Amino acid sequence: MSQGTDASLTAPHTLSYTYKRSLGPLLGRFFTGLRDRQILGAKRADGSVLMPPKEYDPDTSAALDELVPVGPGGVVKSWAWVSAPRKQQPLDRAFAYALVQLDGADTAFLHVVDAGEESAMQTGMRVTARWSDEATGQITDLTFIPEA
Amino acid sequence: MAELTGVIGIGQTKYAAKRDELSMPGLLREAAERALEDAELTWKDIDAVVIGKAPDMFEGVMMPELFLVDAIGGAYKPMLRVHTAGSVGGSTAIVAASLVQSGVHDRVLTVAFEKQSESNATWALSIALPFSVATVAGAGGYFAPLVRGYIRRSGAPEDTGIRVAVKDREHALKNPLAHLHLEDISFEKVANSPMLWDPIRYLETCPSSDGACAMIFANEKLADRSDKPVAWVHATEMKSEPTMFSGRDQVMPRAILDNAKSLYKKAGIQNPREEIDCAEIYVPFSWFEPMWMEGMLFAPTNEGWKMTYEGATKLGGDLPVNCSGGVLSSNPIGASGMIRFAEAALQVRGMAGEHQVEGAKKALGHAYGGGSQYFSTCIVCSEKP
Repeated sequence: MSQGTDASLTAPHTLSYTYKRSLGPLLGRFFTGLRDRQILGAKRADGSVLMPPKEYDPDTSAALDELVPVGPGGVVKSWAWVSAPRKQQPLDRAFAYALVQLDGADTAFLHVVDAGEESAMQTGMRVTARWSDEATGQITDLTFIPEA
Repeated sequence: MAELTGVIGIGQTKYAAKRDELSMPGLLREAAERALEDAELTWKDIDAVVIGKAPDMFEGVMMPELFLVDAIGGAYKPMLRVHTAGSVGGSTAIVAASLVQSGVHDRVLTVAFEKQSESNATWALSIALPFSVATVAGAGGYFAPLVRGYIRRSGAPEDTGIRVAVKDREHALKNPLAHLHLEDISFEKVANSPMLWDPIRYLETCPSSDGACAMIFANEKLADRSDKPVAWVHATEMKSEPTMFSGRDQVMPRAILDNAKSLYKKAGIQNPREEIDCAEIYVPFSWFEPMWMEGMLFAPTNEGWKMTYEGATKLGGDLPVNCSGGVLSSNPIGASGMIRFAEAALQVRGMAGEHQVEGAKKALGHAYGGGSQYFSTCIVCSEKP
């Protein structure tokens, strides 16, 4: 392949815009909970608890409005080791993406386990929440670590 | 068409600049729940859902239908997404109706929405691409020259647009769901509002709204069970053309004229102005009322403005247009076309409340989008064809 000698023009085109998200009442309470270092799941009519919470029951479509505390401990249901994290990823050192089912929740959610070594990871292991120094009401206020 | 189809449920949110007390799913939910209540049904009674909205860039969520479906009872059901720019609300309703007309489903819920407060549509429509002139004009800047073209051709008095703007805002005062309730609306107030894109003044443009509209279509057997009046679908039509081609008449596109002829033929309408009792027409900028009166063949070429001028399009006139207040009073873009269809259906069901056209039996719903290039229309009637 040779570089063309014709005058084909290219120009950069960077598109960006700041969007706003309105969370609504239920997810608003969930994220406010994170700011207060509390993890909340949504209780369904049959008593089971969805974590992360959803505004509407995925099976029955019923509106959900009861939030209950879950965690901070939980069980790793499955995981993948990230040995060389990229800049945009949550940690600057090797970590695991894991499906974590928190105590009191009936569903697992995707989050990060800061385990140090791949050999420290195991399906079925217990982990617990570690909060960032300053909780701001975002899901990244949390990281999970192996339970001592 | 195989199955006669009727509108048995309609739900609309309150339209407002910001519904930021609701999430995006919560906004659709409000409309869908009201449609179910109207139809006296539950989520289980719905066979499939059809979701419509304008460009995804307006909220910055790609394919938002995937995460919205739980909120409107669509889990494990067939789901379709429709997108045809500003006309999308109309074409979404047509897709939903066609799923029933074809016999594929018995009862279909459709919801169209926009949450304009999450972004800025004028920005999203005005991206400056390399090697192109950046107009940063939005829809108003695009349509203003077309309006000028119409004024030049038709010789319409310069204040025609002002009259439309006043009329639609007066209608909106009778519709509690309308976004704009301008109690002190007057000719002077519109005339003295700033000129944004000559000849379109600030008060001759639509607002930016959050909102959703929902409709439930059912086949004849199920619709006949309804305790409430049914709006029977007599005809639907979609026509479109490219934004640009040599010789294109952008002021009066062929697509709308073809759409009107085909729609009326399907509905067995010979004289639309006499046979149709009221119409909901997509009028985002005031002058599009006289333009589309001609496009939909209610008036001869260059005479659409006379209908506005003579008051024919007011509540109480011989063809009331946009009794709900129209797009000029509420514009959740993706929903705006469906609101036209839903309001037409409410009129023939006798359920339009304070903005009801007395005795309305046959109504037209109309939506357009893109650069006046996508047209979706329907005729609904209180009686079966």
